Amino acid sequence: MIPGKYRSVSGRAASNVNCGLHLVIQTSSLPEKNKVEFKLNKETPSFPGRLLQHDLERNYSSRQGDHINLVSSSMPSFPILQRSSEEKILYSDRLTLERQKLTVCPIIDGEEHLRLLNFQHNFITRIQNISNLQRLIFLDLYDNQIEEISGLSTLRSLRVLLLGKNRIKKISNLENLKSLDVLDLHGNQITKIENVNHLCDLRVLNLARNLLSHVDNLNGLDSLTELNLRHNQITFVRDVDNLPCLQRLFLSFNNISTFESVCCLADSTSLSDITFDGNPIAQESWYKHTILQNMMQLRQLDMKRITEEERRMASVVAKKEEEKKRESHKQSLLKEKKRLTINNVARKWDLQQHRITNIATNQDRKDSDSQDHCQNDGSTISAFPEETRSLDSGLTSALQGLSVTDTHLVEVEGDTLSLYGSGALECLDRNWSVQTAGMVTTVSFTFIEFDEIVQVLPKLKIKFPNSLHLKFKETNLVMLQQFNALAQLRRVDQLTIDPQGNPVVNFTLWKYYVLFRLSHFNMQKINGTEVTQNDMIMAERLFGILAHVASSELPQYHLISILGDARKKQFRYLLETKGKKPGIVNEENNDSKRLVGENTNRATLNYTTRDFYNEKLEEIKEKKKFCKMYIEDLVKEATEINMKNEALQKLWPQMFIELVRDAVMEIRNKNSYMKLCLQQITDQK
Amino acid sequence: MLSPERLALPDYEYLAQRHVLTYMEDAVCQLLENKEDISQYGIARFFTEYFNSVCQGTHILFREFSFIQATPHNRASFLRAFWRCFRTVGKNGDLLTMREYHCLLQLLCPDFPLELTQKAARIVLMDDAVDCLMSFSDFLFAFQIQFYYSEFLESVAAIYQDLLSGKNPNTVIVPTSSSGQHRPRPTLGEASMLEGVEASLFCQCLENLCDRHKYSCPPPALVKEVLSNVQRLTFYGFLVALSKHHGINQALGALPDKGDLMHDPALDEELERLTH
Repeated sequence: MIPGKYRSVSGRAASNVNCGLHLVIQTSSLPEKNKVEFKLNKETPSFPGRLLQHDLERNYSSRQGDHINLVSSSMPSFPILQRSSEEKILYSDRLTLERQKLTVCPIIDGEEHLRLLNFQHNFITRIQNISNLQRLIFLDLYDNQIEEISGLSTLRSLRVLLLGKNRIKKISNLENLKSLDVLDLHGNQITKIENVNHLCDLRVLNLARNLLSHVDNLNGLDSLTELNLRHNQITFVRDVDNLPCLQRLFLSFNNISTFESVCCLADSTSLSDITFDGNPIAQESWYKHTILQNMMQLRQLDMKRITEEERRMASVVAKKEEEKKRESHKQSLLKEKKRLTINNVARKWDLQQHRITNIATNQDRKDSDSQDHCQNDGSTISAFPEETRSLDSGLTSALQGLSVTDTHLVEVEGDTLSLYGSGALECLDRNWSVQTAGMVTTVSFTFIEFDEIVQVLPKLKIKFPNSLHLKFKETNLVMLQQFNALAQLRRVDQLTIDPQGNPVVNFTLWKYYVLFRLSHFNMQKINGTEVTQNDMIMAERLFGILAHVASSELPQYHLISILGDARKKQFRYLLETKGKKPGIVNEENNDSKRLVGENTNRATLNYTTRDFYNEKLEEIKEKKKFCKMYIEDLVKEATEINMKNEALQKLWPQMFIELVRDAVMEIRNKNSYMKLCLQQITDQK
Repeated sequence: MLSPERLALPDYEYLAQRHVLTYMEDAVCQLLENKEDISQYGIARFFTEYFNSVCQGTHILFREFSFIQATPHNRASFLRAFWRCFRTVGKNGDLLTMREYHCLLQLLCPDFPLELTQKAARIVLMDDAVDCLMSFSDFLFAFQIQFYYSEFLESVAAIYQDLLSGKNPNTVIVPTSSSGQHRPRPTLGEASMLEGVEASLFCQCLENLCDRHKYSCPPPALVKEVLSNVQRLTFYGFLVALSKHHGINQALGALPDKGDLMHDPALDEELERLTH
């Protein structure tokens, strides 16, 4: 018999179904009887309550509640629950104590057959006094103030445990609940998933609205089909691939920002439904297709079905990204290799320049380093064998590493040809396509001796006719004279001499000398700064006389020997005009400038590399020896003749007197002399 | 011309003393080197030009160092050529380092040795920090002394060292020396306490050196003049004094006086013509 005023209470919950239990609680403190009707709470929290409802509907049929009496017990804080035997028989397996303002679990006597217990919407702080209910299958403690999971160790048959909206900080004391099917811990303060690994029958696990920062330790949950992790602070997910039955995973409103943090999902074959909305990752441009591409088994994403079209798009985009990544990886590999080679060349250069004192150990280290680099390069390159085939021409046209070895590097990048290490000079012997060679306007030399560069300048002139800008770094430019060698090129617009490794830049006058010697190039820039008219005038002022002396005051034979065949004709012409004033010769020089391309009055300023020079001097030694001997012979002859001459000079007076005396004595007797002469004449016939 | 001393020397030695043979040898060598070209316009003309250039002092341009060093006349010509070519650099007022001057020298003579330039720099800088900047005139005059009298200076250095350590070089036996003048040794204390050596003693040694030296050396009278002004002097002090002495410069005849160093009207004219 239900009192009328309470019936309306139950009317309110008419849409909610089924069991209501009338409970009369009588405690010592309460003077009157409070009859409150409990309904089984049908409000579903953020929990796909369909399941629960479904299960409940299946297992528990709805009934009207019955009267219960709660009398005070001997223990002052624990009320004792009693039901009328009528109700006990009617609803022998279920007990609802909803909204009873309970602060503690009452002692439930004589209800050992109870299978369903509902404590929703109370103020219970500890789970107690239910250990005798060993047949319990369904325990609902939703919306209480429980701080710790405890007191459940005897409930071995428990299948549904609802602990949502409490104050639980830690998952614990569930060891004996091996039959657990549904575990609801939403709305608590749990920070870590633990102590659930033995729940091999668990199908639904709800940990929404907790304080989880990551997901792992899920192994052992072999039956888990649904895992709700909404509204946490999760940044990464692990172990999900160890859940063989997991179909639905809800990760909405967490802190996931990269796919890598949830990459284990890709390995899960059972997942079909997943949500990521409310995570940073969902804002990314690559979100959808990355997920789709990596989780081919998905049917729904963020509660929306995935269409074939979407899947196709995703795979296309993913492929493109893969390509791009591969390409940039290849580029960075190449760059790394280049960097290593340049380092190698630099080290070799330093060794050569005797800058590194400990040569032996450095040599070893260099060898082993280069070996290591070789191996590294080898292994990483072999990891991407298909790179060479799948090149996108648009990406690689910017960079072509043509020749990369350990000792030198040749690189053509657009309009710049860069050479590192003396071995790189050999590339000038190679056949270059006209297009590539024609595009090169800048040539950069690094870690190469200038003397070696000088020797290949003619080849450079031919192979790269458009090279207008020369750059030199670490090339051992020490003398002004070395700049003379650049005069043989066709044309140089810009010259950059890096101070590093080129001591000549420390000289105050080097720029002026360059401008002077290479005046026929009309250079625009030196080391980045514009060449002004003043600079040119200064250069001429400083060194003009040198040129004048070098051309007009040199004896002709010397001029010719310096200038060689090419200039012979010109100077033969100059020889003929030798008588004229030097001023006119200059004018004619200016005219011929257009023909020859160089101001001839400084053409005599040449540069021969040290080695060549010494060679030449060696060759001349032979000749010098011969000359010396020859002259000695001449001197000997001359001195002999001189001696004889002197001797003759001394003797001559005496000889002369004797000659005269002999002659006079002969002619003394005229007659006998006449006879003698006639005799001589007849004898002659 | 027909002086008795000239006739007193045997022929070969006479020729050698006048360095005639050096030039003859070099001329023939040059002839051999360039015979194809020279044969075009005649050997007689070649010899004319060659000896003309020797007289004018242009024969040393761009020649190897061994030739430039061979005769005093070559050395003087080289100095003069260096002055004429790079006077403009000096006129510009730039102070250059030893290496830069060496570079300029190398423009005229590719294998000019660095040691000579270094020694010249040491004279200017009094043996201090060799990387300091030097003015053109300072360097030029010091370089003149160092280059022209290099052998003489080496001997002087040896004498100076001897004097510093207390030995009297006059007692050192020189094979060709006939004058064995024995002087009382100076007390060790005197020489080591004060800087440098005593001027008069130094002067005496140098006179002896000049007498027996077969290389060129500065006129002894002028050397004496330099040494008479001071009581004591150091080696580099002596060299600096030499380099700055007008008389010695004039005796050498390669370079004009310091005051006129920047003037060369003929070439200035030429320069004007070139730059305009």
